[in-house]
Parts: sequence; structure tokens; C-alpha cells
Amino acid sequence: MTLLQGTLDVLVLRALAWEPMHSYAVARWIHARTAGTIDIEDAPLYKALHRLEHAGAVSATWGVSENNRRARYYRLTPSGRALLKRHESAWRRYAAAVFAVLDPA
Amino acid sequence: MRWRRLIEFTRHSERDIARDVDDELHFHLRAREDDLVARGWGRDEARRQAERDFGDVDDARRYATNLDQQTVAIGKRRDHMHALRQDLIYAIRRLWQAPAFTAAALATLALGIGATTGIFSVVNGVLLRPLPYPEATQLYRVWSVNATGGNLQASVSAMDLDDWRAQRSQIADLGGFWHQPGSSGLDLTGSGEPQHLASVFVTPGFFSTMGVQPVLGRLPREDELVRGGNDRFLVLSHTFWQRHFGGRADAVGSTLRVRGEAFTVLGVLPRSFDYPTAAADVFASFSIFTDDQVPRLRFVRVLGVVARARPGVSESAVSAELQRITSRVAAQYPENAAWDQATVMPLKRSITGDVSAALWVLFGAVGLLLLIACVNVASLQLARATARRGEVAVRVALGATRGRLLQQLLTESVVLSLCGGVLGSIVALGVVKGVMTLASGQLPQGSVIAVDLAVLGFSALLSLGAGLLFGLTPAWRASTQVQPALRAARGTSDSLRTRLRHGLVVAEVALAMMLVIGGGLMLRSFRSLTQVDVGFSPAQLLVFNYTLSDDRGNNSYLEIYSRILERVRALPGVVSAGATSDAPFGGSGEQVAFTPPGYVVAQGQEMPTSTLLQVSDGYFATIKATLRSGREFAPTDRGDAPAVVVVNTAFERRWFPGESATGKRLMLGGRVSAEIVGVVNDIRQTEVATEARETVYLHVHQNGRVRMNLMVRTEGPPLAIAPAVKVALREIDPNLPIRDIYTMDSAVRSALSQPRLLAVLLAAFGVAGLALGAIGLYGVLAYLVQQRRRELGVRLALGAPRHHVLRMIVGQGMRLTATGVVLGAVGALALGRLLSAVLFGVAPDDPLTYAGVAALMLGVAWMASLLPARRAASTDVVATLRND
Repeated sequence: MTLLQGTLDVLVLRALAWEPMHSYAVARWIHARTAGTIDIEDAPLYKALHRLEHAGAVSATWGVSENNRRARYYRLTPSGRALLKRHESAWRRYAAAVFAVLDPA
Repeated sequence: MRWRRLIEFTRHSERDIARDVDDELHFHLRAREDDLVARGWGRDEARRQAERDFGDVDDARRYATNLDQQTVAIGKRRDHMHALRQDLIYAIRRLWQAPAFTAAALATLALGIGATTGIFSVVNGVLLRPLPYPEATQLYRVWSVNATGGNLQASVSAMDLDDWRAQRSQIADLGGFWHQPGSSGLDLTGSGEPQHLASVFVTPGFFSTMGVQPVLGRLPREDELVRGGNDRFLVLSHTFWQRHFGGRADAVGSTLRVRGEAFTVLGVLPRSFDYPTAAADVFASFSIFTDDQVPRLRFVRVLGVVARARPGVSESAVSAELQRITSRVAAQYPENAAWDQATVMPLKRSITGDVSAALWVLFGAVGLLLLIACVNVASLQLARATARRGEVAVRVALGATRGRLLQQLLTESVVLSLCGGVLGSIVALGVVKGVMTLASGQLPQGSVIAVDLAVLGFSALLSLGAGLLFGLTPAWRASTQVQPALRAARGTSDSLRTRLRHGLVVAEVALAMMLVIGGGLMLRSFRSLTQVDVGFSPAQLLVFNYTLSDDRGNNSYLEIYSRILERVRALPGVVSAGATSDAPFGGSGEQVAFTPPGYVVAQGQEMPTSTLLQVSDGYFATIKATLRSGREFAPTDRGDAPAVVVVNTAFERRWFPGESATGKRLMLGGRVSAEIVGVVNDIRQTEVATEARETVYLHVHQNGRVRMNLMVRTEGPPLAIAPAVKVALREIDPNLPIRDIYTMDSAVRSALSQPRLLAVLLAAFGVAGLALGAIGLYGVLAYLVQQRRRELGVRLALGAPRHHVLRMIVGQGMRLTATGVVLGAVGALALGRLLSAVLFGVAPDDPLTYAGVAALMLGVAWMASLLPARRAASTDVVATLRND
């Protein structure tokens, strides 16, 4: 299933709202949550993380991964949290509108 | 404290960023590969699959590297701004917490920066700003030169000027003008109250050389500026146009009645045009003078000449061209044989020459004052820096780098100096106002003195520079002395720091010494100027300046001349009255060629010349000049009586050395033989500082002039009698245009205004420098006493007499001062040559001034040392020791 424009950022932010994680963990988290329905290529995800860092929505620090490798951990900044909130409500309205069309009461 | 933030953002070079991106990508691929292996894939296959799953790795790497670099750059900038804001807030808080220090430093800086900025705005307005004419740097002033006669800047003959114009090639144009302050003028009649118009008479080429465009109407054509042309026109100055026509456009084309003729108004000049004088009312053609008035002869040299070089043509090329033409003309005409050179000078310099030396002296003095202010603040900072050693040490322990620390300490200095600069700008406004008041019109025309953008920019630069200058040394020392600071829990004396502080005091005293010597010399110079014997008594002398109406062909104006004198002498309150063609300090008179008895004019030489003044009978008695021998003019010395002259002592000394001139005869202008009937003492005519030139006085009835300066000696206050005299003058001639009424006292005062300005300002700077130096010395000694109070306490406890302690501290202050005084004297001697241009009657190395100033410095230093010394001597031994 291909992603709608802008969806990736919401998913990444939502993942990081759960807990700080490295890029591969984000990919796994999204894959698991969508039960494999949404399968994201690593490259766009990776770019999204750096883009969000540049925008100040996430910050990154080097840490140690579960199997003792040096990994870059991303965490949501306060402004990232606010961004997620805005994206989320927009998505809910959007989805409600789409459902309203698909299920005419 | 936000130190953590600083450490977090360690240096991110581009290499670091690229490596981080690689590491992260590698980790990501490895993690997916591990996942696949865990699910049973083979290692190699898993790696290939992970790379396939990832997508375009290179693109992602490029994208991330690029973005990360920007992110880091933004972060760094944000951090810098953050640090700067922190530093600013911190600096302001620190300054706020030390109000005494801040106030002292701000006052010092405001004074230093303000005075410097104020004087700079004068220097800028007078010397640096270009003249308000197009391509003003291509403008030159030109003079005729008679090297053998020692005349290097003579006015130019109209005929020579014609030759220069005709043969020019490198010079775009030349033009001449004739203008004499107070005497060249036209009388305007027939429109209300008769007026005397200050006039400039110009030749062809004058306006085009200056490059001026009229704001209204037009300028005269070449053919309107020559004899026989339609030269009865006037070009109005902007001020006169406003005053007389209320700025109406229909002024152009109207006629004004001058010299009994109708002159058409051609145009109006812009407000900015002020050459050769800002006081001009009208510009007229030089050609309106008849041969009776100004003969068209080679040796009649009356014109000032301006020249404009073609673009790219240098001063030397202009000079060379005029030289060529002049020597050609000299070879052609025997009467020009000695006049074979020309002097060329940039117009700007010809205008500002008189005051530039004085202004540069002031600028130098004010620069010294600023240096003193900086040294003073530096020494204040240094004292404070010691007090904050503990704080600095803590910061270093917390991980602040030296650069960071330096930045923080400097921020404080710069904040301080910028605030000082703002206050200084206010002081500058006051300085400019003061200078303008004191200078009272003595500054050259073209000067626009204002605190403008250039000046404010200068002030801002100055403040920043001053901030760095006085902040850098203390800040550097504070930041390098961290280690000893940490170890030394209590402030034991640090010899290097002490030496630095002593050095600052010595420098301050030396600078102040130089400044005060400058002020002292100027005051002495001014005093000797005021004590000059001008040769007459200016007190209770009133001057009326006007021109008698000039009906060609009959001598009726001389009738009026006499009637005025008779009438005024009869007024109650008038002691006596006389008249002269040029009052002292009101005009320099004319030149007359003459030969003393037995004098033979050598081949190719000219007759000697002397200053010539026309005076009435009773003139010398009225101004209280002293007759050395003979008599002054009598009413019987009429036009039909034998010609008689009076000469001054300078003339007698030069031409009749060792004998009396009275009774001798002179041949005037090669035609008239006149008997010298009296010798009068030298009367200074042009400037107070300039000795009287050799002068011949003629009785006005034998050499009439319409220009009349009526001198009235009064019993009471001179101006009180002015209305009565005015009424009397009007009764005799209702059309008499009175140009000026003033007291001789005020004329002498204004003749002294430039030296007075210089003396007052230099003395003021000297006093300011002295005060700052004293404060600096006091501060350092007070600090010293504070530092050594334990040692002093011990000394006192061990039985040292209090006056020993007193003497020790005062002795230290005096030693520092003496060193500074010696160094300052050396510096002043070195700079003395610069002063000699503006000094009168006192040598730049005047020993009396040096000794007096040295004594003054030591005296002030003694007082400044005494206060802290007494505090030291009265130390409460027990309390001090217990406190430590």
C-alpha cells in the first residue's frame, strides 16, 4: 500500500512519542503496528528522521542499542510533540470525512 | 547556568557529520540484516536483502549529510546568539550591581567620547567634508607671484587673467572675483530704506569654474560680463532673494536701482553657494567698473582667481600650465617682468588654511583626553577584575574556555563603552554648540557643522574601539590568571598586576601632563595676545560704517563728510570724532607705491609699496593713538593745500632709520610730492597678532574716499549714544545706508575669538584631563591601601608611627606621578612643534609653563594620595587583623 503524502512524518512522530528509538526500531514499530499493511522503505524513513531533526521536531543523541551497537536515538522535542498533535487532529478529521463519504448513513 | 548546553554542542566538522551519517546507515542495515539472519537467512543473502529493502542508500546518505550540516550550523548560530544574550544580561546585571564603578566609568567615557566626537564634528565639517561645489577637488585658487618682491600670493590683474584664460588647455576654466569684506558693495536705493548690498564682482569664467547652477533664472552669458556688453545685471544670493523678495519667483526680470542705474535681476544662486563669502547679497559684473575706478592696467592686481582643472589633471599640471603662460606674459610686457610666476593651491586648503592648524591641535588634544579616559576605565576595570578572581576561577572549574571567558569580560566593556558613547553623543551636541558660540563666525565658509551620520558613525567606532582598548588588558589578564587565582584564596599582592596598574597611572599622568601643558601654553599665548599694545584705545569707541553717496564728478560727498564730523562732534556725550577709510580690524586699507627721497628704482624693479589709509582730521586724537613727532591732520589740509601725509613708526624705521621722518618728503605714485607732517605710533590694522605694516596716512580731503568709518569717542557707554548719532546722520543725508554700528571693544574681542576658542577649549580639556588623572591616581592608591591593609595593620601594631604609613602611601603616589610628569614633559616637548603654529608670544617649550604645570600635577597628585593615605594611617589595627 502506497503512502499518502505527509503520512510518513505522522507515523514517525507517533512512533517516537511512544519512546525514543533508533531508525530501525522506528521502521519495526510501524511495521508491527500496521500488521505489515504499511511497509515503508528504509530510505524515505531515514530521510524523514533527518528532515524532522532539521525542523527541530526531534533531537538525536548517540546511544547503545539492545545488542550493544552504537546507535543514533531520536526523541521527540516539545515542538515535535505539538506538531504531532496538529497532524493527528488533521488526520482524524480527514479520515472522518473519507469515512463519511464511504459509509453514507 | 546553561553550561551544559555549551558542552553538548561540541565541534562538528563536516568530516564528523559525514562519519556520523555513515555510522547510522551502517547500523540500520546491520540491524535489518541481523533480523533476517535470526529468521533463518544466510548472512550474505540477508545483507543483500537488507540493502534492497533500504532503497537508494547513496541518495539517503547525501540527503542526510547535507541536512545535518545545516542543522549543526543553525544550532551553532543559535548557541552563539544565546551566549551573547546571556553575556549581555550578565554584563548589565554586573554593571547594575556596582553603581559607583558604573557611574564613574560612564561619566569618564561620556566625557572622553563626547569631547572627541564634538571636536570631530567640527573637524569633519570644516576640514574633511568636501566643498559644496561639483567636483570640488578639481578647484584651485590662483595667485600672481613676484618672487623678487617677496610677494607669493598677490591678487591678479584682470589683463593677466584674460591671458590665462585665452591660453589655457589643461585648465577647464578660470574666473576672477573682486570682493572686500566691508568695503566692496553697491548701494541700493529707490526701494524703501536705502541699503548697502555686500557685493562680489565677477569676471567671465567665474560661475562656470565654480560649476554653480542657479535655482531660478539664469547666469550671465560671457558677453554680458565684458565692457560694452549688457553688464547691468545682478545675480542674487539665496539669502538676499529671501530677504528682499520674500523668495518670490518674479524677482527674476525685475530691476534694482544701484549706483543710480537700473540693474536687471538675472537669476538666484542656490543656498549652498557661499564663495568667496557667505555674506554676499549680490553678484555683479566686474566690467561695470570704469577706468577711473579700476584702471585696466597690468599692474592693477585686484582679482581673486579660481581655476577648475580638467578631469584627471593634477595640481602640478595646473601649476605648470599657469607657470608657462605667466612667464610668456612676463617676457612680453616689461611692467610684468618681475611677475613671472603663479601660486596654485587647492581651493579647499585656501579656505581652511587659517583654522586647520588650530583644529588639528584641538583634535589631538581631545584624542589625548580620550586616551586618558580609556586608561582610567582600564584601571578601574583592573581593580574590579581582582575582586572577581574568585568568580572567574569557579567558571573555569565549571569548564568555561578562555575564549568564552574573554568574550564575557569584553562584553561588559563594550556594553559600558556603548552606553558611554550614547551619553557621549549628548555631550558632543553640547561641545558643538559651545564651539559654535565661541567661534562666532570665525570658521571658514562652506563649513557645515552638525552631529550627522558620519559623526555618529565615528562616535560608535570610537566607543567600540575604546571598549576594546580598556577592556582587553584587564579581561586578558583575568582570563589568564585563573590558576593562581584558584590557589590564592585571599588576595595576596600579585606583582605583575601591580606593575600593570602602576604603568596605567604613569601613562595617565603623562597624558594629562601633555594636555595641561597644551592648555597652559594656549592660556599664556592668549594672555600675551590680550596684552598686545594695539596702538590705540578701543574702550568707549563707537564705529559707524557707511558709504557716502557717490555723485561722480563733484566733491559734494566731502562736504557731507565734513558736515557729519562737525555735527557729531557737537552732540552731547561725544568727546571727539574722526573718520577713516578702514577701521582697525575692519579692513586692511589700500596699497600705494612711493619713493622716499633719493631712492632710485632699479631697472626691472618696482617702486616700494606701503599700506595707505585715508583719515580725517582728529582721527588719531579720537582713537587715542600717540603722535611720536609732528602733528596730525588739520582742517586746513584741504584739497587745494599742499599735500601732506602722516606715517607710522614702522614706516619711519624702515625708510628713515635713526632719524625723524617729520619734515621729509615722499613721492606718491610717482606723481605727487607730499610732506610728512607727523609720525604716529604703530596701529594694528588687520589682526591683533600681526604687527602694523608700514603705513602712509593721507587726509581724506586730499585723497577722498566715499567709504567712511566714523569713530566716536564717548563719555559714557558707547552704544548709548548710537541713536543720537544715527539721527544726526539721517538729518544730513536721509539716504545714507548705514552698514554697521559697533563698539571697538567688540571688534577687538571678535578679532581674538579664534585664539580665545582655542585657549578655552584646550584649558577645559586640560582641566578635564587633570581631573581624570587625579581620579585615576586616587583609585589606584585607594585600592592599594585596601590590598595592603593587613600589612599596614601589622606595621601599626608593631609600633610604626602613623605618619610613617602616611608618608609611605603618599610617597608611592608621588613617585608614580613624578615618573608620569617626566614622561609627559618629554611627550609635550616632542609635540610642541605642532603647537607653535597657533602660539603667540610664548615658546612651545616655555620653561615657566612646564614648571608650573609640573608643580600643579604634583600638587593635585599629593591631594589625591592624601585621602587614601589617611585612611591607611587610621586603620583600626585590631579590627583589620580580626577580620582576616
